[in-house]
Amino acid sequence: MTLLSSILGLRRDERLLKIPPYLSALLVIVGCVWLCLLPLDEYSRKTYISENALLPGQVHTYFGGSEHNVFRAYRHEVAGLVGKSEQERSQKLGDILRLAGLKVATQKYEYDVSGRKLSGENVYAVLQGPRADATEAVVMIASWKTMNGDINHSGVALLLTLARYMKRWSLWSKDVIFLISGDSREGPQAWVDAYHNAVLPASVEPLTIKSGALQGAVAIEYPAGPWGHRFDKLHILYDGTNGQLSNLDLFNTAVQIASNQMGIGCTLQRMFDHKNTYEERLQTMLRGMVNQGLGHSTGPHSSFIPYHVDAITLQTVGDGWHDEMGLGKVVESLFRSLNNLLEHLHQSFFLYLLLQAKVFVSIGTYLPSAMLVAANFTVTCIALWVQSGRPLNSSKATSAATPGASKEEKMVVIKEKKSVALVPASTLAVVERKMFFPLAYIAAAHFLGLIPFYLFNNSPEHVLRPLFHATTAITLVLPIMTATAVSQFRRPTQQETTLIQCFSLLLLGMFLSALATLNFSLSFIIGVLAVPLSFVRRIPNSTVLPCLMTVILTAVSPMMVATLATQHWHYDVVDLLLQAAQGWHIWGMWTQVVVWLVWFPAWFAGASIVVWSLPGL
Amino acid sequence: MLFHFLFTLLVAPLHAAYAGAGPSDYHERLLLRPLPQSALLASFNFRSNTSASAFDQQNFRLFPRSLGQILQHTNTKELHLRFSVGRWDAESWGALPWNGAREGGTGVELWAWLEADSEEQANAQWLTLTNTLSGLFCASLNFIDSTKTIRPVMSFQPEGSHSESSLSSLHLLHGTLPHEVVCTENLTPFLKLLPCKGKAGISSLFDGHKLFDASWQTMSIDVRPVCPADGSECILEMEQTVDMVLDIERSKRPRENPIPRPGKMEDLVCDSSKHYSAYGDACYPLHRSSDPTWSLTEVFGRPIKGSCHLADLSGEGSETICINVPPEREVRVNTSSSFSEHRHEDGFLRCYKLSNGDDFDLELPDQTLLVDTPLPQPHLYAARSINGYGQERGSVQAVINNPSTTSAIDFVYLESLPWFMKPYLHTLHASVSSSSATNATSGAVENPIVETYYRPAVDRHRGTHLELLLSVPPASTLTLTYDFDKAILRYTEYPPDANRGFDVAPAVIRLLSPKEAKASRGAYLRTTSLLLPLPTPDFSMPYNVIILTSTVMALGFGSIFNPLVRRFVAADEVASVGPGGLKGFIRAKFTRLVARFASKGTKSQ
Repeated sequence: MTLLSSILGLRRDERLLKIPPYLSALLVIVGCVWLCLLPLDEYSRKTYISENALLPGQVHTYFGGSEHNVFRAYRHEVAGLVGKSEQERSQKLGDILRLAGLKVATQKYEYDVSGRKLSGENVYAVLQGPRADATEAVVMIASWKTMNGDINHSGVALLLTLARYMKRWSLWSKDVIFLISGDSREGPQAWVDAYHNAVLPASVEPLTIKSGALQGAVAIEYPAGPWGHRFDKLHILYDGTNGQLSNLDLFNTAVQIASNQMGIGCTLQRMFDHKNTYEERLQTMLRGMVNQGLGHSTGPHSSFIPYHVDAITLQTVGDGWHDEMGLGKVVESLFRSLNNLLEHLHQSFFLYLLLQAKVFVSIGTYLPSAMLVAANFTVTCIALWVQSGRPLNSSKATSAATPGASKEEKMVVIKEKKSVALVPASTLAVVERKMFFPLAYIAAAHFLGLIPFYLFNNSPEHVLRPLFHATTAITLVLPIMTATAVSQFRRPTQQETTLIQCFSLLLLGMFLSALATLNFSLSFIIGVLAVPLSFVRRIPNSTVLPCLMTVILTAVSPMMVATLATQHWHYDVVDLLLQAAQGWHIWGMWTQVVVWLVWFPAWFAGASIVVWSLPGL
Repeated sequence: MLFHFLFTLLVAPLHAAYAGAGPSDYHERLLLRPLPQSALLASFNFRSNTSASAFDQQNFRLFPRSLGQILQHTNTKELHLRFSVGRWDAESWGALPWNGAREGGTGVELWAWLEADSEEQANAQWLTLTNTLSGLFCASLNFIDSTKTIRPVMSFQPEGSHSESSLSSLHLLHGTLPHEVVCTENLTPFLKLLPCKGKAGISSLFDGHKLFDASWQTMSIDVRPVCPADGSECILEMEQTVDMVLDIERSKRPRENPIPRPGKMEDLVCDSSKHYSAYGDACYPLHRSSDPTWSLTEVFGRPIKGSCHLADLSGEGSETICINVPPEREVRVNTSSSFSEHRHEDGFLRCYKLSNGDDFDLELPDQTLLVDTPLPQPHLYAARSINGYGQERGSVQAVINNPSTTSAIDFVYLESLPWFMKPYLHTLHASVSSSSATNATSGAVENPIVETYYRPAVDRHRGTHLELLLSVPPASTLTLTYDFDKAILRYTEYPPDANRGFDVAPAVIRLLSPKEAKASRGAYLRTTSLLLPLPTPDFSMPYNVIILTSTVMALGFGSIFNPLVRRFVAADEVASVGPGGLKGFIRAKFTRLVARFASKGTKSQ
């Protein structure tokens, strides 16, 4: 009895309503601290091979000897093709593969993005497994140009040599497809789209030769020129578009083979000198999160991952003593492991954060941090909803009144079955919520995001820079303009602005928690950048606070974040926009959708709240 | 055109030899045909006949008793069984050696005409047949159940001669096992059916290691009744064939050292015209222009051990080994006994007659040839693949290409799909695209689908059976697509082995229009099988749970069971038992004995 009445009394307690902001802040802090704890040994785990069939490094590799001479010759041939026309190049590469006894085909592709034509030609060859039944295949990729734009001399030559070498073996249980893509990102995308007969633009040719279901793909990037260059380490890329990752088993197999069988060190996320300290682990993880959050294509392998084909790219880095034959043996051993697969790679993790080549955190450990950050919005949203239903002046009266006055407050007896409770009448007062304006405002804010989204994806290259600056300026003053415009007709009440913020945070919390399960990093990054939105309020009769809030919100607006980030990493903003447009049109990247349809509307709603509290509006 | 002409010239005499029943009841023949890229087609054919009356009286001589009794028990009038691995590369190797009449698709394929009064009876006999054949051939043929059995309508015609009256009571049933891996255990029973059992004759070349290292290999058994036109007694003919394409380079590797290690530098043939060849460390490998050297012993691991003495010893049927090489190709014969060589008119075919007993070997030295052996070209090329991605739906695309510039080809396309692959017939779409511009106007075919026979699947009871009569104009490509949904299986319906997905049987294409296809055997083409990934639960999860709960139960049960059955003895009682060991044991016995006597003494008092 007493418990119920005390809870009923607590329900509308003033003190209870003071808790949510602190709770929100606590959630954010715990979420961020949680993330920082992950690199510690207590929270991370050593990687291990989960799929027993892979048996990494259990086979002898025979690639070497006279194959080295063939490799050198092919490298000279590749060097001879630099500067030749695309057709001539495809012809020559196709001839070499045909000479090895493989079935060769080519595929032309052309994409038209941002007024630029991205075109090229893929050459690929199928090594039909002698005992295989054409139901499964693995892919070896060497793009003509590496991600850095260099010619992939040794990578392509290695692929050609391996094709010739692997043809002699009769143990292939799957077909092996050798793909030399015209470039490192659009080419593989065009090829893998055509392989699965996805919806293609007419400018992408369908494939004439196909094999079975793809089980894995490994890309090689080794740009050493015709005279060779010994490398130090292998840099393994594993993240695909939209932050999807390849199966951890594939990554582990590559690391295991390279480091244990061949003695080649492995690095990731451009941490070329990783000493396995806390700071370096944290940095690796954060770099991985930025890559995942951007959701862009990081290499030739990225396009395969959305099709549930696990793929990695091996890049050579540094100056060391490992040569092309070592890399060749790694690839040979890796394909022998993939050849062992009885089932599609499924055993190990698909959702993980790597801290070092042999240390990782699994989703169960890291997911709560993004969820906590997302939950902070929901908590604030609930608080705002409750607040919006309370009469504004009564709360003021109670807070302003003396303690003596509050004792004379009207009390009401509530009976529910046998329970009886005595509560102050003021807490039971309910104000009707006027929902139309807030809902319309939130809907409009979301539709507003479509405009920049469309403009950025469909404008020619030379317009992008002015467009970006214009959009930055407009989006920054847009809340003020909108607020002024709305105020011309009708000044929104305090309740309406509270509801606007409530709905906006409700959607933001919902989207981010759902997104955290799909793309953890994107959800976390946007969540952290949007944290101020759950703490801004419309504060009438104040000048300093609203101004301060405006400054903070300006700094965390999507456009300002993009500007600051590009400046910090010395990246051209036009490149960023070009990548984004390519991402939307070619790779099927959803990051922009999240930015413009989740983050921007939330920011816009938050900024509007602050602007309405500015004097004169 | 020239190819076709040469092909008919070349194959006609071969086939003429098989046309009628010869004087003898057993024939065997091996055809060797070097193919491009150092491949070698070896096509073995064994035929044994028995008269219908002898068969009915169970008087088996050359016809194997084990198979004969199965056929009699199940009332099977005509039987066709295929075991195949790998795929035929029609682009490089040309047409199939028997025009597809004796070659199967990947896995095991079985079809038979059973005599039965009703469908139910036919099904029961079919079940018996598959189960007994499964035992005979060590294959999982018993897994051909109702979900994998169809009754084709247009695709198959009886090869043998059946009387009009019996035809009405014959039931054709067809089943496939695309995932069955054919291996040595299937070869051994196959060899046992031969009269010479691999001891003599061409069957002595069968070595499991070499046979199953082939790039493509198919084994077939065909039993059919043949009634001569002159009205004499009908005979039952059993034909066994083994066709394989061997990679000469691979087969020549010695068994002690089968690993294809990189060759020695000296063995590489380098292109010295390249500018970098002067450095000495680079070698652009050249393609060998000459035909590789090989011999039967090198390729098959052993020579032919004489002729099978049951086979014909005279006439054309006695020429048991034929090789299909250009006239100028040098072929050496290594044998200690006599043999005879017969060159056919066009010069591309040489046949050898073996003598009894002695080893026979053919050796082809390294030779640069000016003329290649003309390869018969296929009438159609077919490829089939699954498109789309994800766990829910997909689509199948079959691309059928007619290379002929003059004649349109009619064919029957047969799909037998598992029940968990649910096609939508309204999405079935066939389109013809012409490869040459001239044909686009003349041969505008509105809808290439002439006729459709469709029997939809019933969940867990029968699969989809789709037969299409299609026509493809000259020099054009027909693309056939349809969408399908993937069903969700119950977890017990997944096979117990590693789950890579489910195999979909190869589509069977029967050619109807060209003249050669009108032969009684028919001309066929099979696509590759498909891999259908279905949504699969992570099976390790239930097993983890089972293991964990079992452990917990074992611990709980053990700790409760243990105190329940244990006899508890107080510590002071233990001391009275006295010291252990032999001494203690004797002492305990002694005291017990003494106590017994003492008690007897007290009783008697």
